[in-house]
Amino acid sequence: MEQPFSLRTELRDNRLIITTSGYINNVGGEAIGAEFRGHFDAGIREVVINLADSRVVNSVGMSFLIEIIEQLEETGGRLVFTNLDPAVEKMLTIMGLFKFAGKEKTVDEAVQVLSRRA
Amino acid sequence: MANAVSLKVSLPKIPDIELVAIEGLDRLARHLGIAEGKIGEAKIIVTEAVINALEHAGDKSPGVRVEFTMTTKELVIFVRDYGDGFVPASVPDPDITAKLGDKNKRGWGLKLMKSLSDDFRIESDKGGTRITIKKLLV
Repeated sequence: MEQPFSLRTELRDNRLIITTSGYINNVGGEAIGAEFRGHFDAGIREVVINLADSRVVNSVGMSFLIEIIEQLEETGGRLVFTNLDPAVEKMLTIMGLFKFAGKEKTVDEAVQVLSRRA
Repeated sequence: MANAVSLKVSLPKIPDIELVAIEGLDRLARHLGIAEGKIGEAKIIVTEAVINALEHAGDKSPGVRVEFTMTTKELVIFVRDYGDGFVPASVPDPDITAKLGDKNKRGWGLKLMKSLSDDFRIESDKGGTRITIKKLLV
């Protein structure tokens, strides 16, 4: 059975890295959104969401990530997803999220891509 | 279906109960040696179908019925709720560009179920909603 949701964060050169674990439903999505908002209010505009340990997600949870994309779009920021399970990647593709967010294999690659924007 | 395995389960309306359905699906799929990618996509379909059904099930009979029938070649998913029903054609197809700036970011369930399946049928009336989905596994 999928483990309960949890997240941890790291700041690397003013970039926020959110690493999740477990099922991302409405509760998980809201927790990611709340964590993001705290850092966004402090000026963070580049975010990596590492889904390596979240193999099951639902569209309600993902809708909270659209809010993050929206806020970053409005302020010239950028979100990059990493370590996507192939089915989750397909889901996000169907939802069109990669029109406004990036995807990379690893957190290090995402950080490199974001650093090239500067 | 020849050599089919099946699972029928009634799910009460409690948080994250959809995980029980996808755990059952996962067991059936691994028993039959279904490819990992197909299992992942089927799990998304089932998750969306169950959370949608639970949301629309109403309070009179808040549970949902879920049935899987699986062979090495295909999976048939049936999900039924006993809510008030809705008009499927009235549900707009969500678009990410429109969702940015819109207060309502939700409404992706039907699109995901249709996009990830090979056949999608929905019947809805005042007695509830019945969704039948076929997914090829090879």
